[in-house]
Amino acid sequence: MGVKRSPWRRGAEGGVLALIALIWGFPTLWVLYATFAGTGTTAGFTFANLIAAWNTAPFAEYTLNTIVIVGGLLLSQGIVGLVVGFILARYEFPGKSLITAIFLLQIVVPVYAVLIQDYQIIQGLHLLNTRVGIMLPYAVSGIAVLAFRQAFRSVPRELEEAARLDGYDMLGVFRRVYLPRVGPAAVAFAVITITYHWTDFLWPLIVTSSDAARPVVVGLALLAEASESGLQWNLLAAGTAIVIIPVLVVFAIGTRRILASFAATFDWH
Amino acid sequence: MSTLVKPLTPSAQGPAPAGPWRAWLAGPGVRYLLLLLPALMVVAFVVYPTVATVIHSFYRLDPVGRVTGFAGVANYRMLFAEPVFLQVLRNTAIYAVASVVLSIALAFGMAMLLSGKVFVNRLLLLGIFSPTVMPTIAAANIWLYFLAPQLGLFTHLLGDFGIKNANLLGEPNTALGALVALFVWKYAPYFTLFLMAGLQAIPQNVRDALRTEDPHGWHSLRKVVLPIMAPMLAFVITLAVIYAMETVDPVYVMTQGGPANGTNLVMFYLYQLGFSYYSWGPAAALSGLLLGGLSSLSALSLIALERRSFHWA
Repeated sequence: MGVKRSPWRRGAEGGVLALIALIWGFPTLWVLYATFAGTGTTAGFTFANLIAAWNTAPFAEYTLNTIVIVGGLLLSQGIVGLVVGFILARYEFPGKSLITAIFLLQIVVPVYAVLIQDYQIIQGLHLLNTRVGIMLPYAVSGIAVLAFRQAFRSVPRELEEAARLDGYDMLGVFRRVYLPRVGPAAVAFAVITITYHWTDFLWPLIVTSSDAARPVVVGLALLAEASESGLQWNLLAAGTAIVIIPVLVVFAIGTRRILASFAATFDWH
Repeated sequence: MSTLVKPLTPSAQGPAPAGPWRAWLAGPGVRYLLLLLPALMVVAFVVYPTVATVIHSFYRLDPVGRVTGFAGVANYRMLFAEPVFLQVLRNTAIYAVASVVLSIALAFGMAMLLSGKVFVNRLLLLGIFSPTVMPTIAAANIWLYFLAPQLGLFTHLLGDFGIKNANLLGEPNTALGALVALFVWKYAPYFTLFLMAGLQAIPQNVRDALRTEDPHGWHSLRKVVLPIMAPMLAFVITLAVIYAMETVDPVYVMTQGGPANGTNLVMFYLYQLGFSYYSWGPAAALSGLLLGGLSSLSALSLIALERRSFHWA
């Protein structure tokens, strides 16, 4: 800090921040309290609500579905992004701008606007109520293609030429020169895609009709719907806790790193 | 001696021999082949549906969604003839404007507060950014409980201030207000992240100079901070408008569009038209309108992000 501010003002700023943190964090605190604080005979810390919620709805099945969907999309979007991004960054060929435009369109057209058409396609393929049906429209990500294209472009050409002089062909150059240098882009892409698909709701809701393919977020929404017809709030809170605790732990461990990577990705110097 | 001299170039480890198979792999044919499947996927799930959405909006569709004949603009006319849709448009406009203005203003203030700090308490960060990592469905569940009549925590709090038996989700206006509050709570910290990154574009010595020259900060805010932040602000505002337009999760969990369609937003209405009423014609018309609106907004945000030359004022 180059210039000292008055302690009064620093204190006021700190107080405002603390108040914001308290209000913004309160719902999370409340869920944890409602889940783990026992009432009546079981006063104190208890796992009873968590276990009861886990048994009220098929959370194990939901969680497995979410892991398969998010993991599968990460894999398919990542591989396609790497391959297509590399070809677009490294080669000139007829039709390149048309192909680039197709992937740009994937970013520009929101899935929500073509929801009904995509639903009818999945229906036509007899993939309704399957995890593949949920994943298929998202299998290719324009964001991933653009991110990796940008990362490959910023690799100095001299490195590639040096590797070629050493006798490597294109595949070897890709593996040894380009691939090791797209780490930051890969991390940024992974964070974006995992959070998006892990929290996505409307598309999995309309595609699924049974617990066999439902991700955890849809399961939680249905649990909430059931709660209006008399399910105990403690169970709903515990169900919510099941969904938010994993991310809170990851975020708590990596707070600074996640915020820093975000700042670096969007640092517009 | 020779064991001490490690080969420095990768060539010393020996590149793989270049057989005919690998030669073909490096050729132009395989490049098109590799591009073909991903491009076809995008064509199948984005390009074709986009075209089909626009075309279908001008055709009569039966309850299963099959084309039964040309309709002209009848679908659009049916859509706008429905008083509920006009109310949905009004709701969405109020919701979007209030949500975007409040969340961006708050995010800007939070970014200014946080950016000067070298060291911020981890617990503070965890509190502020906990809504960001929480799925909207989970957040809506919690808020539903806070606002529930009689047993809700916030309802009790209002009772202490003399507002007895409040049922915020039972009145159209307060229910829409609750949805706006949820949006601001959920997204203001997220937008703060972007704006903090934008504030980094102001060099430290400029900041220090501004602090001594202009202690109250209003002049420098207008003349220095806002112009530098303009591209990032443009990007974040577009993002906020898109998010507000696409809001559906909290409507589904907290109000189901009610009471009396007072919180029915455009995305939830589309869901109802299609998947509750099987009214595919007007649904296709509404999809066509959303397609135009949302795609232009996404294109704008992409331009702001890629070109960084999106200036105003």
